[in-house]
Amino acid sequence: MAESSLNVLLKGNTGRNTRGLLRIIILGTIAAAAVSSRLFSVIRFESIIHEFDPWFNFRATKYLVQHGFYSFWDWFDDRTWHPLGRVTGGTLYPGLMVTSGVIYHILRFLTIPVDIRNICVLLAPGFSGLTALAMYFLTCEMSTSPSAGLLAAAFMGIVPGYISRSVAGSYDNEAIAIFLLVFTFFLWIKAVKNGSIMWGALTALFYGYMVSAWGGYVFITNLIPLHVFVLLCMGRYSSRIYISYTTWYALGTLASMQIPFVGFLPIRNSDHMSALGIFGLLQLVAFADFVRGFIPGKHFQRLLTTMIIVVFGVALVGLVVLTVSGVIAPWSGRFYSLWDTGYAKIHIPIIASVSEHQPTAWPAFFFDLNFLIWLFPAGVYMCFRDLKDEHVFVIIYSVLASYFAGVMVRLMLTLTPIVCVAAALALSTILDTYVLATPGPNPKAKVVEDASSEPLRSARKPDVGVTSYLSKMVVTSSVVVYLLLFVAHCTWVTSNAYSSPSVVLASRMPDGSQHIIDDYREAYYWLRQNTPHNAKVMSWWDYGYQIGGMADRPTLVDNNTWNNTHIATVGKAMSSREEVSYPILRQHDVDYVLVVFGGLLGYSGDDINKFLWMVRIAEGIWPDEVKERDFFTARGEYRVDDQATPTMRNSLMYKMSYYNYHTMFQGGQAVDRVRGAKLPAEGPQLSTLEEAFTSENWIIRIYKVKDLDNLNRDHGNAVAFDRGHKRKRATKKKGPRVLRTE
Amino acid sequence: MKLLKLLIPFITILSHGFCGSSDTDKFERYRSLSKSAPIDLDDSSYQVLTSKPRDYHVAVLLTATEARFGCILCREFQPEWELISRSWHKGPKPDELKVLYATLEFTNGKETFQKLMLQTAPVLLVFPPTVGPFSKVDDGPLRFDFSGPISADQLYTWITRHLPDGPKPPLVRPINYMRIISGTTVFMGVVTLFTVLSPYVFPVVQNRNLWAAVSLIAILLFISGHMFNHIRKVPYVAGDGKGGISYFAGGFSNQFGMETQIIAAIYAVLSFATIALAMKVPRITDNKTQQVAVIIWGSVLLGMYSFLLSVFKVKNGGYPFFLPPF
Repeated sequence: MAESSLNVLLKGNTGRNTRGLLRIIILGTIAAAAVSSRLFSVIRFESIIHEFDPWFNFRATKYLVQHGFYSFWDWFDDRTWHPLGRVTGGTLYPGLMVTSGVIYHILRFLTIPVDIRNICVLLAPGFSGLTALAMYFLTCEMSTSPSAGLLAAAFMGIVPGYISRSVAGSYDNEAIAIFLLVFTFFLWIKAVKNGSIMWGALTALFYGYMVSAWGGYVFITNLIPLHVFVLLCMGRYSSRIYISYTTWYALGTLASMQIPFVGFLPIRNSDHMSALGIFGLLQLVAFADFVRGFIPGKHFQRLLTTMIIVVFGVALVGLVVLTVSGVIAPWSGRFYSLWDTGYAKIHIPIIASVSEHQPTAWPAFFFDLNFLIWLFPAGVYMCFRDLKDEHVFVIIYSVLASYFAGVMVRLMLTLTPIVCVAAALALSTILDTYVLATPGPNPKAKVVEDASSEPLRSARKPDVGVTSYLSKMVVTSSVVVYLLLFVAHCTWVTSNAYSSPSVVLASRMPDGSQHIIDDYREAYYWLRQNTPHNAKVMSWWDYGYQIGGMADRPTLVDNNTWNNTHIATVGKAMSSREEVSYPILRQHDVDYVLVVFGGLLGYSGDDINKFLWMVRIAEGIWPDEVKERDFFTARGEYRVDDQATPTMRNSLMYKMSYYNYHTMFQGGQAVDRVRGAKLPAEGPQLSTLEEAFTSENWIIRIYKVKDLDNLNRDHGNAVAFDRGHKRKRATKKKGPRVLRTE
Repeated sequence: MKLLKLLIPFITILSHGFCGSSDTDKFERYRSLSKSAPIDLDDSSYQVLTSKPRDYHVAVLLTATEARFGCILCREFQPEWELISRSWHKGPKPDELKVLYATLEFTNGKETFQKLMLQTAPVLLVFPPTVGPFSKVDDGPLRFDFSGPISADQLYTWITRHLPDGPKPPLVRPINYMRIISGTTVFMGVVTLFTVLSPYVFPVVQNRNLWAAVSLIAILLFISGHMFNHIRKVPYVAGDGKGGISYFAGGFSNQFGMETQIIAAIYAVLSFATIALAMKVPRITDNKTQQVAVIIWGSVLLGMYSFLLSVFKVKNGGYPFFLPPF
């Protein structure tokens, strides 16, 4: 009875409907899991924007919502990069802000009163649900197996490599960009398969959206042409490829040029030249293919082929000449540093200084991908079995993205989607083979092997299926164990590594209860409430966005590192003596200087640890005035204790960090807990700055820049006089009055 | 050289007597010693060349290029140094800006090395003029320490920065015709070879298994952290301080060369076991063999994965998960 009713449910038309319904339910559950596993930080702390860049995005979104789209587009921000300002509307990727703005207005239209901050905080988890869905579509294009798509969606939903950039509160471009990346690739595969203008145009549309959202769009711009190029090399030219590629290229380039920040780059920058080159090559190939149909002469065909090769070569030489002569900009530094891995360190220290631009050690791969990392090569291998056009895409993507992820930690994000696809292909093949009650091969998972070319070695014999139930049980149960372990791993990683807002730090008290360290916000709110609205705050560029977002004060430099010289100016002010720094501070109207100091708490991400980068960047511009060598002792050590070099001890950064620090400890026992160093008993003296605020745990220290002295002395003298004056007052009673001759 | 040594006392006397004119002589004399290459010095000529008064800049490279000193940096930098000197003398420059480039080899200038208390080589000293339009109050030499291998361009920018403002000859690297010719020849040879061998090469190039192997090896290399080794130049293995070898570096973002190879091998075994289970086993017709194959590959998978987790636990101390048996 039960069996027959099951049969009714699972067979025929009803069966298809039931399976469709089940699939929708499963996908819905996956999306829910994806969203909920990203909410750790909201539950633990509060609904707060994380880290650094998101604070700028949040500020820009607030501006968009308040002032409307057009004024956002023309926004000139005079509160950053003082005194230069920033043409913000023309130098950002507006996709993220516009997306949240649209969501905000829709919700308002539906009379749901929601704060823009909550939209920003929850945008990334929301889009991760969509990413899982896009992943399902993409993988379904790759495999005939019904389980592959669902597996890929589930993997994508909870894999830490993606969660790392999309937890609640990490309101960054990647939050929507990964969804757009996956979905654009899905549409592209669909377009190549069908050769339809509609799918090509949709690809272009989403490509345009992607361009508006993230600088990583260059990855798509180069991957799709490469895919086409490899297909051409394999002799797989067809009108499908021609239609889809030309549609995508023409519309997509136009769409991308609508973004002010991108502008004319697609025709003037080497990053985009491969797409243009393949567009030209495809026309030639199409022409040759067209002519070939009419002219049977073998010699003529050979002539035609030679012609095409010659034209291609001439175009390549022309490109090189144009690049050398400067008409076409050479590869942008960031992109170039991916190929020449030593380039950034020598030429653009500011890029090399960012921690997410470091190369990836192997534990990071396993940490972010767990067992998918070893299913990944297996899945790629299985793509060689059918080797249809879409499988070629998976293979190219895999090789390229694994290279990029190896060079830069941050690009793990682009590797993650393809790892999920490949791993799902591998795992679904296993499941389809072993999770089957009847003996013999799985009828549904049967792939049409193309007999024309030579098959893979492991796929030569016919598939007969697995016979023994013991085998099936062994494999199925071990796969279930690995999957459970994967889920546990993902949850653990998300909860421990990727859910801290870094604006608020959490630590454990001896009794196990949680203790929140909230110095950043304490200091930023102090700035907000105690300083004039136009007080300029100088800090290292890492904190620029946070000061702009939380304290709402103008900053000198921020995380948008477009002006190396200006950043080097700040670096010089931080690393020079007070006499040198003070004029710089005055020239830039600086009212307050903010430093981050972790010595009391043992917080290692502080400014003294970043100090060498400030020195290095300043040295790049003023090699005579700032020298990295001077900050190391004769034995080549970077020290902060009494062995520290005079340059180090006299630098503004050192003085600001350790000013009055020894008064916290009794009897000259001051200890820096980050660097494990005992500090000299006598603390540094500051004459041009005065301490304005120090947060509870000393993480943030704010100094006020003194105005010029009333009596036109220099500050060193004035301070010395003050100190001397005090001593004199103490001795005044003893001696007779004398005429001061000084 | 001999003539020069005879002349030295003469010049010194002269230079006291007729300050201006003899200085020009000193410059011209040394300038004529070598057309474009750096002048080779010894202790005495070094003394003369750097003695006051001088109305010219002198850049002296103190180096030890002889093989027995084992200074690789010195030998590598020597052609670069000659390049700087040649570029300067051949290029256009203002007439009144006089610069001499000289080299003092350790074997010829032991006394000077001792006097300067030099422990390392190479060292570059630039002496500003003491008289004339570009003279400086502080006439001590500027010193450039070589912290690692650097190119002529870097040193040249440093030197020109310390020269007076004004136009300076650009650094011109001679075109390496040999390299261009050999490159073209090799390229054409490859093209010819490819054309001739194309009937034999094409089946290989079109072989699916070959491409599969190449892409898998590339992927395995990259995901096991090869690029990290390449960029950071990590050691292959390191001692554990007890006379043994430690295969795995401590710390999450740290690794050794051999460690990555072990990891790549683990990944390869795991992937291969997966491929075997998914593709090879269902194609075994004999039931018994199939059963055995499944159990073998299944246990290989379990064992390797368990080992991988245990290795990862070493790298990441707080990691709570494990699999039996490791």
